Amino acid sequence: MFTKILLRHNIYYLMLAVVFCLSFLLAYSSTDRIFQIGVIVATTFFYVLWGIMHHLLNHDLHLKIVVEYILIGGFGLAMIFFILSVNGNH
Amino acid sequence: MYKCYNKKVKDFLSHLFIPRESNNHRAKILHHTNLLLTIAFLLLASFFIQTVKVKYPSVLGIQADISSDQLLFLTNKERQSAGVGSLVINDELSQAASAKADDMFQYNYWAHNSPSGKTPWVFITAAGYKYIYAGENLARGFTTTQSVIDAWMASPDHRANMLSSNYQDVGFAVKSGNLNGEDTVLVVEEFGNLYMSVAKNTPQEIAPAKSTVASVPAPVVPAPVAHKTVQAVSKNPLINTSTLSSNIYYVFILVFIFALFLDMVIIEKKKVMRFVGHNIDHILYLLLILSLVGIWSKGVII
Repeated sequence: MFTKILLRHNIYYLMLAVVFCLSFLLAYSSTDRIFQIGVIVATTFFYVLWGIMHHLLNHDLHLKIVVEYILIGGFGLAMIFFILSVNGNH
Repeated sequence: MYKCYNKKVKDFLSHLFIPRESNNHRAKILHHTNLLLTIAFLLLASFFIQTVKVKYPSVLGIQADISSDQLLFLTNKERQSAGVGSLVINDELSQAASAKADDMFQYNYWAHNSPSGKTPWVFITAAGYKYIYAGENLARGFTTTQSVIDAWMASPDHRANMLSSNYQDVGFAVKSGNLNGEDTVLVVEEFGNLYMSVAKNTPQEIAPAKSTVASVPAPVVPAPVAHKTVQAVSKNPLINTSTLSSNIYYVFILVFIFALFLDMVIIEKKKVMRFVGHNIDHILYLLLILSLVGIWSKGVII
């Protein structure tokens, strides 16, 4: 079933996975917290735009979908904010 | 009564996680309002935990137990295993390590060289230690002495410093503070060998400088008497914020990944048409977010 889903949008998912892996490696290789946060915020923007673009190309874009990507991206960033602010002191 | 309660819980969980008619064929937890509520909860929780942490540090804070005594003991244990002589605590090197840690907190940097260009050797010389060989190992974000030593031993450059027969003295600083917005424990280890002690024995060639090892000739001065300076950070709050935040982080993300996965499988089987985003996108993104906690919860050495 997953192979079917993955094959249906293989290039799209492959690109997404590659960008996420690169983003992880960039964040992992740096010890600069600001740079790491920058990488994650940029990746989140890419994820939202890439998702919207994919639906646009599939002709099934709906306002609900745009909001969903923004909210999942917001959830990811809220998680990052949570862990950094609880462990940090800003 | 029990059966009725059980049924209600089961129904609630199904409504929350399984796409069906009652939740408009989308797991309730993935609805926009719930996502928005989760974001709001996370923001409020972080402000609440931060406030409690500042007001009641004995209740919430970072747990750490690192001491210079233990660092010396474990360093010498590694050296003995490698057949190298033990290091002796040197007061000047400990002062240099302490000044380096203070400088890092004050000017907010995490590097061997400060933003203004101060090298580790500036601190060593300023403390009055006239060296022929010197080296520096740094660690941050570790909670036990053993984990610091393990990390240094696992890195070839740091291991070389730890086991170098060029060094006879060592100084440690273990300090807690806020670095780049993160509450952390800094460990500075300065190695050295006095110019005098080398000159007395054999004429030495100066070793090539490495990233963490410097060797410069220094004027001959009487060797200082070694003193023992114990430095330690031992914090044991009731709740360790690091563990608490990591657990909340894991639970939230894993619950959402589970809900997305279940939603995807069930809808794929039922072949229900709906306007929602691709769950695989969301799962991949959340896996990336999940992997980041690993980066931020582990200690770092340079």
